Amino acid sequence: MTDVVTPSEHLPPPQNTWGEWIWKSFFGSVSNTLFTLAFGAFVVWVLSSVAGWMVLDAVWRVEDRDLCGHGAGACWAVIEDRWRLIFFGLYPYEEQWRSSIACLALALTIVLSCVPKFWSVRRLPVLWLAGFSVFVALMRGGFAELTLVTTEQWGGLSLTLFIFASVFLIGMPLAVVFALARRSSFPVIAKGMGVFIDVVRSLPLLAILFSAAVVIPILVPDWLQSSKLARVIVAFAVFFAAYQAEIIRAGLQSLSEGQEEAALSLGMPYWSVILDILMPQAFRNTLPSTINQAVITFKETSIVTVIGFFEIMASGRAVIGTDEWGAQFVEIYVFLGLVYFVFVFGLSRYGAWLEKRMRVGHG
Amino acid sequence: MAEAAIVAQGLQKHYGAYHALRDINLSIEAGETVVVCGPSGSGKSTLIRCMNGLEAFSEGQLNVLEYEVGDDLAQLSAIRKRVGMVFQHFNLFPHMTILENCVLPQVRSLGRGREEATEKARQQLARMKIDMHAEKFPDQISGGQKQRVALARSLCLDPEVMLFDEPTSALDPEMIAEVLDVMRDLAREDMTIVCVTHEMGFAKAVADRVVFMAEGQIIEVAPPETIFTAAKSQIARDFFSSVQS
Ligand SMILES: Nc1ncnc2c1ncn2[C@@H]1O[C@H](COP(=O)(O)OP(=O)(O)OP(=O)(O)O)[C@@H](O)[C@H]1O
Ligand SMILES: [Mg+2]
Repeated sequence: MTDVVTPSEHLPPPQNTWGEWIWKSFFGSVSNTLFTLAFGAFVVWVLSSVAGWMVLDAVWRVEDRDLCGHGAGACWAVIEDRWRLIFFGLYPYEEQWRSSIACLALALTIVLSCVPKFWSVRRLPVLWLAGFSVFVALMRGGFAELTLVTTEQWGGLSLTLFIFASVFLIGMPLAVVFALARRSSFPVIAKGMGVFIDVVRSLPLLAILFSAAVVIPILVPDWLQSSKLARVIVAFAVFFAAYQAEIIRAGLQSLSEGQEEAALSLGMPYWSVILDILMPQAFRNTLPSTINQAVITFKETSIVTVIGFFEIMASGRAVIGTDEWGAQFVEIYVFLGLVYFVFVFGLSRYGAWLEKRMRVGHG
Repeated sequence: MAEAAIVAQGLQKHYGAYHALRDINLSIEAGETVVVCGPSGSGKSTLIRCMNGLEAFSEGQLNVLEYEVGDDLAQLSAIRKRVGMVFQHFNLFPHMTILENCVLPQVRSLGRGREEATEKARQQLARMKIDMHAEKFPDQISGGQKQRVALARSLCLDPEVMLFDEPTSALDPEMIAEVLDVMRDLAREDMTIVCVTHEMGFAKAVADRVVFMAEGQIIEVAPPETIFTAAKSQIARDFFSSVQS
């Protein structure tokens, strides 16, 4: 028995009436026609002014920066002048090549782990270990010719990607463990986990990260101290896991009890029943929510600014903070928005593709 | 006298206040085919699910092969490796191909190598006359075919006992025969079979004994020809006359 949630489909009107349908709904009556014309004009006006501002009238080069503001469009000169600050934050100027290679390596790791070919118990860990090692080794340095750059100096897009990838990577297995504990047959564990999840979810992320960054060092003995970044990432991962655990639990609940019973009655060990039979189906059934959670997490990474990390949003704001480029805040935010858009939109499209792929043949 | 494969002694089962199994005593010999029937809610599923530990009982003793069914997880998993079960709703794994449905349990339960497991799976699928669909997913085949896959999946583990819980009652009439056919072949081998079913034709053809249950109790145990025509209790006579007409 399968209980696959299929999205309700809105059936388009029959093919042969498409043209008719469009004509009717846009120009069917005088009021429809007026509205269509007015709205069409509005759309054209918006598009042309956006294009004008962003492209046609924009100032691109730093040499032309005197033109900025005098009736011209966007002043992209600010990006040309300060892109290094935005992408690398406070990372030492001469070492920024390391940050860009590290960033590419991590992006590549993320992209590769989205490819089904790499989804095996052996390949994924190797891939991630390699990706993260390269990233940390390059970013941190401190060996061979590479000078040491501590995590406090990491910043910009590299930091954003690193936080997102680590939170996801630590948070996902944690979420699976949470979800399993939540449905444990021992009431103490199940209830305890339920309370823990609810508590974590009721606290603001900011409070949790702040505690991890500032409060824990005061409470924990010196020999247990880790870097602030590591603490913040682990705390963020726990927060992520609390939400993701509930998604996974919903996915498990959507399966028929017969799945577990069949696997058990075939003598399969508990871990295999969970990992081979229940989890793949639970993930498949909750893919849209999981992608949603990943998108939210990506955007929430910007919150680490508050505890002194210089990720891409903070770096962008630092550019505006200078007298020199203070007037170009719109350009900076639009640019940051585009950078986020590339990643988040990519993630969403990937989710849609994955959903389609998983439905093929067994929906 | 063959040795007993399954022995239940004084089995009791409560769902809260509800008394689902009342003092079940039953001994099934190795190689025997036993059909369990009775009205809905009489405890047939509960009894058969106790036999591989899917359901826990409250009192009594139940021995399956040389093991004792209880809380001991190691014993339970040993039992499940040698006792197969086929369900009313097939319970194939929808995210795997038919072939993988048959291969993975062998790998995980018996530690068989993939190559050997694949060969075994193809062999059992062929025996169930379903090997041409090996690369398909469960949603792409019919109910009768699904049930034969479920049977092949169980048989891949070389079980000594097979439990069936109404294997044909979720099937369209025209598919019932194809499943009963393969079960009949199985029953003629020296496999021990416990089957909950209302298919009286099947019971007549292959059952050594029929167990009639009502309200959580075993009312009568007798060979099919006796119990169908000359049951001792009124309730059994009423039941069999209603299902046979
Ligand atoms: N999980 C449960 N909790 C409470 N009562 C249950 C539970 N499972 C079964 N029962 C009750 O136990 C009784 C026996 O159930 P069982 O499923 O064994 O009957 P059955 O003989 O298999 O019936 P059917 O022919 O309908 O499958 C029924 O009255 C049922 O309501
Ligand atoms: Mg039943």
